[in-house]
Amino acid sequence: MTLAPDPPADSPPQAAQPTGASRPVRPASWLGWLTTTDHKRVGLLTMATAMVLFFLMGVLALLMRSQLAQPGQNFFGSSMYNQMFSIHGSGMIYMVMTPFAIGLGVYLVPLQIGAPAVAMPRATLFGYWLYALGAVLMLSGFAMPTGAHADGWFSYPPMASSTYSPGDGTPLWIVGVFMATVGALLMGWAVLWTALRKRARGMTMLRMPVFTWSMIAATLMVIGAFPSLLAALVMLAVGRADPTVFDSNAWNIGYQHLFWFYGHPVVYVMFFPYLGAVGEVLAVFSRRRFFGYKGTVISLLVFAALSMSVWGHHMFATGQATNDYYSLTSIALLVPAGIEYFALVGTVLGGRLVFRTPMLFALAFIPQFLIGGLTGIMVGTPALDYHVTDSYFIVAHLHYVLFAGSAFGLFAALYFWFPKVTGLMLDERLGRVHFTLMVIGTNLTFLPMFGLGYLGMPRRVATYPEWAGFGLLNLLASIGAGFLAAAMIAFALNLQQAFRRRVPAPADPWQGNSLEWAAPSPPPRYNFTTTHPLPPLTSNAPLLDARMRQGRHRAPHRTPNGERA
Amino acid sequence: MEQRRVFAQVLTVETVIASVVFLLVLTALLYSLIRRRAGAGVGPSPRSERPRLEVSYLAALVVIAAGLVVYTASANDWMHPGGDAQAAGRGGGKAAPVEVDVTAFQWCWKFTHPAPGAHQAARSGHGPDARPAADAHHAAEAHHAADGGHGSGGAHGQRSDGARAATTTANCRDGRLPTLVVPTGRTVRINLTSLDVIHSLWVPALRYKMDAFPDHTNSFTFTVDKEGRWIGRCAEFCGDRHHAMEFWLKAVSPEEYDDWVSQHQQDGPTGGAAA
Repeated sequence: MTLAPDPPADSPPQAAQPTGASRPVRPASWLGWLTTTDHKRVGLLTMATAMVLFFLMGVLALLMRSQLAQPGQNFFGSSMYNQMFSIHGSGMIYMVMTPFAIGLGVYLVPLQIGAPAVAMPRATLFGYWLYALGAVLMLSGFAMPTGAHADGWFSYPPMASSTYSPGDGTPLWIVGVFMATVGALLMGWAVLWTALRKRARGMTMLRMPVFTWSMIAATLMVIGAFPSLLAALVMLAVGRADPTVFDSNAWNIGYQHLFWFYGHPVVYVMFFPYLGAVGEVLAVFSRRRFFGYKGTVISLLVFAALSMSVWGHHMFATGQATNDYYSLTSIALLVPAGIEYFALVGTVLGGRLVFRTPMLFALAFIPQFLIGGLTGIMVGTPALDYHVTDSYFIVAHLHYVLFAGSAFGLFAALYFWFPKVTGLMLDERLGRVHFTLMVIGTNLTFLPMFGLGYLGMPRRVATYPEWAGFGLLNLLASIGAGFLAAAMIAFALNLQQAFRRRVPAPADPWQGNSLEWAAPSPPPRYNFTTTHPLPPLTSNAPLLDARMRQGRHRAPHRTPNGERA
Repeated sequence: MEQRRVFAQVLTVETVIASVVFLLVLTALLYSLIRRRAGAGVGPSPRSERPRLEVSYLAALVVIAAGLVVYTASANDWMHPGGDAQAAGRGGGKAAPVEVDVTAFQWCWKFTHPAPGAHQAARSGHGPDARPAADAHHAAEAHHAADGGHGSGGAHGQRSDGARAATTTANCRDGRLPTLVVPTGRTVRINLTSLDVIHSLWVPALRYKMDAFPDHTNSFTFTVDKEGRWIGRCAEFCGDRHHAMEFWLKAVSPEEYDDWVSQHQQDGPTGGAAA
């Protein structure tokens, strides 16, 4: 990509003034990228790093599925298998879905609110460095003689203490996750502060697009919940220095409380931005404004607030949690979630649907995530959770939420904003191949796991005996993983073709609704220029309003219910 | 097996609700895909919100959520009949449960059936929290016995506060799984702890599990209706042999159970338990 510095007259001056003694850093050089204060570049670095890790963590999953395809196989050995599931889970949660979501916000929020830059650009860049180095540290455990961290993404003591998990993998994991989490906090603060304080004149709170609102809710949870993980990691580090800490039950159960106080809100941090992206995609390819905007905004905030009170539902089987209370708060989540679903379905129901690749991923998100959500009510019910917790039922549930849901939202976002970000179009046909393989693979992989959990297969087992009767469903799941691998190859091919063929993208290839589609593709350093100025900020879909004013839209020319200036 | 019954009922109710919701959303989506596609010749709706419909829908959601909360809390209550009241009333009346102390360790299980009366003496003496220290010795012995090639599991009596207790354990290697023997029709009370890391005792057929913490004892009760043998597993990740940390739950008639306990209390160490 080329960087076209085309600042409008009123844009802030360049941050780094070259001194006489040193040469200026060329923006296009690698050093220019690593020292950038452009929110788009920081966002891109974050998302690109997360994408690379997404492929790596996916490879770990494929290796695990190959071992589990048949009963009695243990060619990696338990120790290696434990490292693989631990790094797969940690990597996908701490280093892929969370950073990608926040990186998407770093890139898009300033554009969507008509700002030239992000608040605290250097802190945002520092956040990226912490994240990238943290990921490297965590993965470097594989180079240690004792191997990488092998105690799961949750790393309960005393299992993760130096007594039961000696070796360097766990300290590296602690430091790596700590750094990535501090990075996410810094970037989260920057996104929140940008949305609250950097909006263009006329961009009121209720004119912000749904995606920006979803980032506000997500970053509020980042700020509220992520420090709790830092505290838990500190406790783990102290306990590794002095394992007698974990002789006491209070610290073991205390760790679980601190961990899940982070560990449940983070699920929604890994969900809201993708939900917001799906909302944008659905509205644009339904050729209308997002339905139920105000209700969705309120429900996102209520959801974020409630999410801070549900952590104990991960601890129903500990015998040390007030189960009825956490069940109440968890089930209460269905109210804001139901409002959001009402808006998604309502948008589609009144639309004029155009089936481009982003729309396909967004449409599949709706029923697939719903399976994750509905089974979420089941696991939020103690009477059911006693049986299914820590079983493959949970593996199925969480992958329906995070993969069939969030990852589909991620790809909807990726196909949707790729032309804006790179100025290049992706191939529709390869996109459809990617989508089809992904739908087949996702459901073939994760649907059988509900059955496995119900039948009694525990999570995190390296292998299972033949007589247990888990063979067939595991084989199906492993075949599904093969489809997922093929889907990701199609996606990689699509990226490679896009950069080779370089089909240029116009500023607004999709008839977008929100402000970023008024900027050039890719947007220049300070986003909006004299040739691509901010349009009048009339509602949460200003470009749709502009099209309707010009009468080029086929919709009936009535005044929409949305607010007008 | 009240857990199993409650589980089946709650699962049915929630699956029906979930299926209805899923089918409604799917129908709406399929309808849109066909009738609202660009080729169908309809324009997009200009209405961006329908406040009255949304408020009615919100009210319906709140009612559903409230109903579910009440229902699931009741189910949790049915699953634990008596709750702590039963524990307090233990020892008096015919409802006195059969007590089994379960100790999880890396990577197997030990089941101790205290001699009737002895258990309560131990309990009132220094409380359940003093048990793990004593069990460390037992488990070490169990490892030793199993590694010494005692065949398929071992069951032997041990002195516990002056009374003999029947104990079974094994090392969960090469098919040597320990057996938790319980009587049918009587309430069984499990006192669960761990020697090292957190484990979780899961009998899928009972539809129930409970975590085993070091330095803490969790208790729960269950009854088994019919004779039989079911697999139990460790459900909390606990290290390299987590996948192999299994045991058998065996339910026998109350008479057979009493015989089994007294035999293992008197015999001392014997090989070849009911594995």
